[in-house]
Amino acid sequence: MKYTTTIILRDKKYEVKAGSTLLSALNKLEILPESIICVRDGELITEDTILKDGETIKLVSVISGG
Amino acid sequence: MKCKKCGGKAAINMRQHNMGLCKDDFLQWLPEQTQKFIEKYKMFTPDEKILVAVSGGKDSLALWDILRILGYQADGLYIALGIDEGFSYSAESQRLTEKFANEHDLNLHVVNIAADYGTDLPMLAKKTKRGRDKPCSTCGLVKRHEMNRLARDFGYDVLATGHNLDDEAATLFSNTLQWNGDYLIRQHPVLPSKDGLARKVKPLFHFYEREMAAYALLRGIEYIYDECPFAEGSTSTQYKELLNQLENQHPGAKMHFFVKFLTAKKKGLFAEPTTEIVPELHICPTCGQPTSAQENCSFCRMMKKSSEW
Ligand code: SF4
Ligand SMILES: [Zn+2]
Ligand SMILES: [Zn+2]
Repeated sequence: MKYTTTIILRDKKYEVKAGSTLLSALNKLEILPESIICVRDGELITEDTILKDGETIKLVSVISGG
Repeated sequence: MKCKKCGGKAAINMRQHNMGLCKDDFLQWLPEQTQKFIEKYKMFTPDEKILVAVSGGKDSLALWDILRILGYQADGLYIALGIDEGFSYSAESQRLTEKFANEHDLNLHVVNIAADYGTDLPMLAKKTKRGRDKPCSTCGLVKRHEMNRLARDFGYDVLATGHNLDDEAATLFSNTLQWNGDYLIRQHPVLPSKDGLARKVKPLFHFYEREMAAYALLRGIEYIYDECPFAEGSTSTQYKELLNQLENQHPGAKMHFFVKFLTAKKKGLFAEPTTEIVPELHICPTCGQPTSAQENCSFCRMMKKSSEW
């Protein structure tokens, strides 16, 4: 059986293994935690959050220019 | 992770401070810290009139929100540059800025470059060939000139911009890579009023970009998420990414880089040369702003060139 969490960053969608921390998922996806904030169900969450099966985490990129 | 203040669930972890905070405590902490830096750096007082340069992005809208919450007299200035590039960048950022101003009953000045000068920014940059393929240097000149003009015409004491620590660290990195002495001497969160120009301040210079994004999100501020189409691939974005890689390995690195620069400066590391030849300042005959040229200032020369095109 496979447990997955969906992570969305801009128009990209990633499927990662549930059960580990958000930080380890970010590391695997090579996304710098410094450059994003993480939102679940409209709430801001920290990187030590354990990912649950079936949930979706939205990443908001924080770097802006101009 | 737990909130350092109340022990509840943290919404954000700020590794450089070794501190996690919940939503409510973060939303209280950030304006309090801003107030602390406004006082520490003597940026302005409650009886001064502040003009906030608002772009519709997270930082400037958050700054306006914070100054409002802290009880300062802060009006906004939006400069409509006419950047479209297929997704109405300027129009959308203006809409969001006006929406924010309306919701909080704030006073907003809107300057429209195309309406006032007959040409939008991308066209102006093409006509005057200032930037080869990017209009950024023209844009900087236009914004500076118009901010100074509005501040003077409406009698504002202070001009405030939403630059955060990542912006400042990236600028410092760029100036250091080139040992650009003139810029290093001038880079500071407060530039005193000079030659009839308003004081310039950056009240958010101590916050990470990610804290400002978190603030905007938690406060429910609707801001323009896409960056300016011309910012893509810019060196400042590259430097921010580099500094974030460093920050990831060494929490606090980018903060120390900038804050220790300020300390070193205070101790005289970047003192103005004593024998400096101070360029004599003149008054531009067209717009009345100070300039080192004995004729029109660079803004007015550019506008003249554009009208002759
Ligand atoms: S990136 Fe856009 S807003 Fe920023 S300076 Fe360049 S043209 Fe102006
Ligand atoms: Zn708390
Ligand atoms: Zn002029």
